[in-house]
Amino acid sequence: MPADAAPAFATPGALGPGRLIGAGGMLGLWLLLLLFIVYPLAMLLVRAFYDGGHLALGPLLSTIESPNNLRALRNSLLLALLVGVAGTVIGLVFAFTAERANLGRRAGRLIDFATLLPLISPPFTTSIAFVFSFGPRGLITYDLFGIGNIQVYGLTSTFAAETITYFPIAYLALRPMLASISSSFEEASFSLGGSRWHAFRTVTLPLIIPALANAFLLLFGCSLADFATPLILAGSDFPVLPTEAYLQITGMFDLRSGAILSLLLLVPAGLVYYVQDRFVAGRSYVTVTGKAATASRRDAVSPMARIVLVLACILMTTVILYFYALLFYASIVMAFGANSTLTLQHYRVIFTEGLPAIEDTLFIALIGMPLGGLYGIVVGYLVGRTRFTGRKAMEVISMLNYALPGTIVGIAYLLAFNDKPLALTGTATILIACYVFRYSPTGIRTTIALLQQIDRSMEEASASLGANTVTTFRRVMLPLILPAFFAGLGVVFIRSMTAISATIFLVSINWTLITVKILENMTEVALGPAAAFSVFVIVVVLVVTGLLNLALKRLTAPSLRVSRIGT
Amino acid sequence: MPEPSLEIRLAGLTAVFHHERRGDVTAVKELDLDVRPGEFLTLLGASGCGKTTTLRMIAGFQQPSAGRILFGGEDVTNLPANRRDIGFVFQNYALFPHLSVFENVAYGLRVKRKSAAEIAARVAEGLLQVGLHGFGDRMISELSGGQQQRVALARAIAIKPRVLLFDEPLSNLDAQLRVQMRTEIARLQAELAITTVYVTHDQEEAMAISHRIAIMDGGRIAQIGTAEDLYQRPESRFVAGFLGSTNLIRGTVVGSEPGNTVLDVAGYRWEIATDQRLLPGQMVEAVVRPEALGFGDVGSGLAGTVESRVYLGAKAEYGVRCNDQVVHVVQANPVASRLYGIGETVYLDLPASGVQVLAVESPAP
Repeated sequence: MPADAAPAFATPGALGPGRLIGAGGMLGLWLLLLLFIVYPLAMLLVRAFYDGGHLALGPLLSTIESPNNLRALRNSLLLALLVGVAGTVIGLVFAFTAERANLGRRAGRLIDFATLLPLISPPFTTSIAFVFSFGPRGLITYDLFGIGNIQVYGLTSTFAAETITYFPIAYLALRPMLASISSSFEEASFSLGGSRWHAFRTVTLPLIIPALANAFLLLFGCSLADFATPLILAGSDFPVLPTEAYLQITGMFDLRSGAILSLLLLVPAGLVYYVQDRFVAGRSYVTVTGKAATASRRDAVSPMARIVLVLACILMTTVILYFYALLFYASIVMAFGANSTLTLQHYRVIFTEGLPAIEDTLFIALIGMPLGGLYGIVVGYLVGRTRFTGRKAMEVISMLNYALPGTIVGIAYLLAFNDKPLALTGTATILIACYVFRYSPTGIRTTIALLQQIDRSMEEASASLGANTVTTFRRVMLPLILPAFFAGLGVVFIRSMTAISATIFLVSINWTLITVKILENMTEVALGPAAAFSVFVIVVVLVVTGLLNLALKRLTAPSLRVSRIGT
Repeated sequence: MPEPSLEIRLAGLTAVFHHERRGDVTAVKELDLDVRPGEFLTLLGASGCGKTTTLRMIAGFQQPSAGRILFGGEDVTNLPANRRDIGFVFQNYALFPHLSVFENVAYGLRVKRKSAAEIAARVAEGLLQVGLHGFGDRMISELSGGQQQRVALARAIAIKPRVLLFDEPLSNLDAQLRVQMRTEIARLQAELAITTVYVTHDQEEAMAISHRIAIMDGGRIAQIGTAEDLYQRPESRFVAGFLGSTNLIRGTVVGSEPGNTVLDVAGYRWEIATDQRLLPGQMVEAVVRPEALGFGDVGSGLAGTVESRVYLGAKAEYGVRCNDQVVHVVQANPVASRLYGIGETVYLDLPASGVQVLAVESPAP
């Protein structure tokens, strides 16, 4: 019956004074969206294409034609391709093992923890651990094999570090897909005489091809936009676009070239988005409910294959845990690789010299967190549940800063807010705005997803019991979308603590960030404080997301609990 | 004492949906309906007949494209749902998952800012009425489907609404529970005497609980009446076929006078006591329920050949070919007489009364 046609009807009833407040709020929201999303991007385009008020393609063409920049583009694409393929394969192995290979509860927890770590760490963490392991004085290269003159910088280590950093995203995307494929499909194939491998090849794999494509594209996009890993590990022989754009701006003060280079990044990023939206989304054969199929068959793999899969996962998990252990170790010894005396020296450094950065970062993260959480559910509710002119435009615009590589957003903000009338660069405001508008879309998406699960009859039930729109929102809808609010809080906090690609263009003497400090330490070869900072960030993020999860648990009914924040 | 029940009147009610591909779709067409004070009226029909849309317009969840809705003479067409004073029971229950059973039932009372003491008393009363005494502290997720249905019912009646509306409330329950719940809903409605509109596609459910049933088809009411009216005196093939299984026995009118009509069915002369005015020579269809037919003695009745037989213990179902049509016959308690075999020639006793005769507009297919 016409439940789907229902929205075509206007619900009778108006909301007197509420309507005025609503109109004012809507106007304010649009102003914010225009100011912090549309305007900076427009400035970026103007800077790249216009010169003195005229369309000028000369600088554009010369930047593109420069052999070095073309190489950076090629390198970026190659790296993204490799990371996309390798990360998807590893993610699939993890997801398949977790869902089908009958892991114990403890092993499952360990895998979850190991895959969570890269997601909540500062972006340099893997890179630093790589240098510790494979650098000139690396634990593995030097101490274990005695190779002194190793070249750690280049494609191989960048690729490996990015793969370790990003494969958990593929794992998280693939696991619910595998969980939702009823094992009866595999059993059917098995019962028809196929081997387990045959069942996997002919049934499971084809069913998850859209999910695999999606995971690949996600990783491709992440690698393409990654700034931190190449900055540490790529070295001068392997330039990639985000680092080149950064160097143009900070090294040569050439804003236009930086802008154009960041726009070059937009071409493949846009292509990925197009392919994802056009060919992958909605192609899924399985409906993801987030709920595992009941009585999932746990022996879908042969005993031999199971051993291989589990070993592969254990190996990868060990590598990750080893990297983080190394990071911790480096933070508590005098000088990694030279002097192994235990010390708290580095922590002393970060809490004295580094204290301003810690205070600034926490201030920005803690201010941005509630703003981002609120912004997420407001926009999510407006887009997901109400109808107004420009709703679709609001949805698209609110996603822009999230979908674009951080380098583009950072340079756009730099261009837009460097001069009067909006000279905000270097203030806390701009850093907070950047994080809120770039990382709240997770909250928006979660809100929309939750709203889709809340049947309209909830609102109708409330209305039939005499409640008006405001009461209904406050007493029914708000409690139901609370998990989305917390998800938004979590993501904005985590990113405010760890992200760097956009904000590195916006820091100043007055306001700086831990991540920027880590980068400075790395370039000054002050590895100890860099490691200590990283450990500090990871601990803070774990504690805060833990507290958020606890609060969410306290505040919501058991039936409403969604997946954990940060995963 | 509760307030006196009120009448619901729908006048020229029309609902037009705009559909992306199909353009404007009329779900309800100029529907007129009077629901009597305290009456239990059921809108019965197949999916897409407009019954739910009608109910949602009565509730105020959807605005009619045209027509008026009156509650006891008061025009509520433009009144929002939250000011219509209705109790609505949803197909999916629509219980608030973040609230306890108590808080769900108390919701409407809290909105109306009743005192804590009154809320406690009325929630307790409501839960008692639906047999959930002592369940107040449970969370919704801890309840079974049937219990959730009871909470939804308690929540709707706790506010003492002027009108009770049900949207297929039992369709998510298993068969046994459905029968139990429908009995309770009927009992509760009789007790509260609140004017009730109930939507279902289940004809047995409709017949079991309603005072009157309105059978809907294509956005209109095909026929309205008591279960007996509709079953025994359907005014159209649609209604005859919709309620229960039936035979439409084709024949030609030989003669018709008040109180008596004679039909020719495949050469057999069938006299029916009916006040319907029919013209000699007219093609008609006589509505005869399979259980109203019986097997007669050899040579007396409509002759036919047994084509199929299903033995069900308490009854046996036959398909009997009489010339160009197949007549379905239900034989009750076959042990008492005898079972007829396939291919056997039988003579059907056609009833002389209680037969509705329908004119055939176009030649029967």
